[in-house]
Amino acid sequence: MIAGNLHLSNIRVVRAGRVILNIENLQIRSGDFTGIIGTNGAGKTTLLRLCCGLIKPNTGSIKLDGTDFTKLSAWSKSNLRKHIGYIPQQAEYNPDLPFTLREVVAMGRTSIKPLLQRLDNDDFEIVDDWINKLGLADNRNQTFRSLSGGEQQKALIARAMAQNPGILMLDEPCSNLDFKWKYQITEIIDKLHIMTKITILMVSHETNLLPTGCKRAVLLHKGNLVTDGDMDKVLTSNQFEQAYGCQFETISLGGRKYTINKAIK
Amino acid sequence: MNNILMQLDSYFYPVILASIIAGASTGLLGVFIIGMRMPFIGTCISHASMAGFIYGGLLAFNNPVLWPITTSLGCVLASVISAVSLATIREDKTRLDKNVGLAIIFCLMLGITFLGIGFNQGSRTDMLNLLWGNILFVDRARAITIAVMAVVLILFVTLFNKEMKILLFSRSIAAATGVHESFVYCLFLILCGVVLAVNLPLIGGLMIFSLITCPAAAAYQVCTGYIPVIITSSFFGMLSALAGFLFSYFLNLPTGACIVIVSVAIFALTTIYKNIADRHD
Repeated sequence: MIAGNLHLSNIRVVRAGRVILNIENLQIRSGDFTGIIGTNGAGKTTLLRLCCGLIKPNTGSIKLDGTDFTKLSAWSKSNLRKHIGYIPQQAEYNPDLPFTLREVVAMGRTSIKPLLQRLDNDDFEIVDDWINKLGLADNRNQTFRSLSGGEQQKALIARAMAQNPGILMLDEPCSNLDFKWKYQITEIIDKLHIMTKITILMVSHETNLLPTGCKRAVLLHKGNLVTDGDMDKVLTSNQFEQAYGCQFETISLGGRKYTINKAIK
Repeated sequence: MNNILMQLDSYFYPVILASIIAGASTGLLGVFIIGMRMPFIGTCISHASMAGFIYGGLLAFNNPVLWPITTSLGCVLASVISAVSLATIREDKTRLDKNVGLAIIFCLMLGITFLGIGFNQGSRTDMLNLLWGNILFVDRARAITIAVMAVVLILFVTLFNKEMKILLFSRSIAAATGVHESFVYCLFLILCGVVLAVNLPLIGGLMIFSLITCPAAAAYQVCTGYIPVIITSSFFGMLSALAGFLFSYFLNLPTGACIVIVSVAIFALTTIYKNIADRHD
């Protein structure tokens, strides 16, 4: 397993003549829990896909534990990505197929095993262990499509963790969920970080949904890294209000700060 | 069943066998094609195959020895080229929906096909047979080729079982988590091209669409789990081909049309069953 150090430098992503991401320097240390925040279209998902090596920047380097994604062949990139747990937005997977929950979680073991090698009992022990840890034992043989949105999200987290990743990347894991599930998923991610101490990158446009363990925030606005640092400081900064285009008031609750739009209040 | 088979001319035995295997192969392919939401791929590759057949035929015009070789090679080559072209269309890079890419390649193949028909000076019956399919195309050698390709397809699905499963679920997750998805996807499309090209003279470019779509769509309605879907879809494909052939033989109806109608009927029945079962749950 890798340590999960990520270093982006002089990144510029240009598409159709428009700069969609411009980051001079961003360093994520092993074990960090970092929230990538910003409004819709700020470049959060692009940054996450860049960190997975799925997007090639026009300039700059993306180093995962010192290995530069931009200098690798497609085959070597895939080998490095085996250490990345990735949870995409719902539009990126097909929830309508009749796969059982256990089959979906077992997909996490796919890249661990070499091509042409089948999953064995040891793999399924790991799969069942994560199903149990996330409280999905009763749904094990149920179809993925028959699960609620929250349960599906838990299954995807179990799938990512069954991969035994060195770094976990989550893209808006709480979108499309109701109030109860949003907080349950947030809590699960928090517990995962405490339990495994792996590096976590979580994209969320709703800052209040970032778990308490997420101590650092990277604020993106129109493709630029506006500010980066301690979560509470970022949430109370002028740049934060400017990026979101409204005034916020912060309240402290349970050891962390939450933002409330003043207009709503 | 034995009585029915006894009434058949022994000439039709390889035809029936080839039909059943072709039904199973297309049913199996359909699981992935429908699961990846690109049902149009069958029509696209089969038209490429037709173009290959026509230009292969033009190369060996008036040469009955070379003709079967150039047409078969043309079919396979054009199918593989179109499959590889499809593999290069990446939605995340081109910002083009894969079905739009498929439609564009389909249009190109259609244009090339009819251009080739225009060039052809001789009989166009063989070419039109390829569009609608003709069981008389099936001889012993063709039946063996269809069977060999079915075995290759089963081997591929078995060996790349875990990769194909995650490709069905999400190519994004597969790519981001280190599965060699482009490699496996490309292999699958090439195999898809070859299997369709080999089955085309029997099933026909238009009918292949129904055998790819209906058995898999029906299996997705009633099954739980990956393996049951694969087995059921292959079975529904076989059933469509066999029942369609028997109906056409005994009622003296066009074979292609009968197979299409049976495959749609199977889909309709599974949908009704699913709705009734859901109401009782």
